[in-house]
Amino acid sequence: MIIGLPDVGLVGLIATAYLISELDLEEIAYMDSDLLPPVVVLHAGLPHAPLRMYGNKNLIAVISELAIPAPAIYTVTRELVDWAQAKNVKRILSIGGIPTENRQTIKEPEVFAAASNQELLDTLTKSGLKTLNEGYIVGAQALSMRYSISKKMQSIAILAQSFYNYPDPQAAAIALKELSKISDVKVDVSKLLEKGEEIRLKARDIMKRTQQEMKRMQKSQEYDLPLYV
Amino acid sequence: MWMSEKREKSSSFDEMEKYLEEIGALAEEVMASAFPEGPSWNTKTCCLHALSNVFITPREVIVTADLPNIEPETVKVEAINENLIEITAKMKKKVRFEDLGICHRQGEFSFLRCQGRVHVAIDTEKMEISHEGGILEVRFPRKKIHKIEDV
Repeated sequence: MIIGLPDVGLVGLIATAYLISELDLEEIAYMDSDLLPPVVVLHAGLPHAPLRMYGNKNLIAVISELAIPAPAIYTVTRELVDWAQAKNVKRILSIGGIPTENRQTIKEPEVFAAASNQELLDTLTKSGLKTLNEGYIVGAQALSMRYSISKKMQSIAILAQSFYNYPDPQAAAIALKELSKISDVKVDVSKLLEKGEEIRLKARDIMKRTQQEMKRMQKSQEYDLPLYV
Repeated sequence: MWMSEKREKSSSFDEMEKYLEEIGALAEEVMASAFPEGPSWNTKTCCLHALSNVFITPREVIVTADLPNIEPETVKVEAINENLIEITAKMKKKVRFEDLGICHRQGEFSFLRCQGRVHVAIDTEKMEISHEGGILEVRFPRKKIHKIEDV
């Protein structure tokens, strides 16, 4: 199961939404929660829950078209992991961004990964992914990993260097490329890169609202250096 | 030696008016960040609001803006007043609501625009502008508002 919720640079959301479109996944479920704003999203005249799941027999993809309110992030993520377990999901994979200063000077953002156990981490390394050795992950990605571990489920976080509060389709494309190294999910990202400017224009509002929630959940802690002696 | 602060000489009425303007602008900004309910577009001015950030360091103020789909040579950076910077740029092609998938509104946009509030004195004449990867970066040296004068 791939989780792409609005976060740093909207990397996870852009990547997962593109994946859903390219693989033509069908909507299979949605989350109904009193903790989420009273919103429906209209597409082609029909209402959809903002937080919903798409899938086929091999893959589930989770996106949210609204910024998850910071206080709801625990419940929402726990519910997603519980639901994944009930659906016999083998592995939870979340995609996100690492806020990177001077991102605009980086031609090709780097991607880092973290895993819920050493064996999985070794697999990632063997597949050519760089690991995020030291640092903090804040928000839904952190919680999906924590809850997965408590449920003894495999969990991987893929994080691409990105702008903090500007939508970053290029980082999303590179995250998807790295994803293809460790899974059967392979998509051509050229259309995503071509549509980059259009996505940046369209994503301004959700980015703005996501920024407010990131502030509330102290997302900037991802810049911090952890102390572990 | 005396520490002196540079200030423009003006009447107390002007000063008061200036402070009231500043308070008004600040209140507007606080409200905007607390309740960001306004749309990110303006059909009258044909502008889409660009995302922007202001970073204040001890020596300079850096304003960045995400400016997709623009003609770089049309970027204008203007100091509206001492504390407000406005960035505008013409888009490569007009964007209509329809292009963004919206059919229940009408309007087209030719410009991206954003404003950045700066709470420290800056030297707008010495600004440096760069545009890389679709991100505009404007650097302003901070003005020294104190100086030591020999007596």
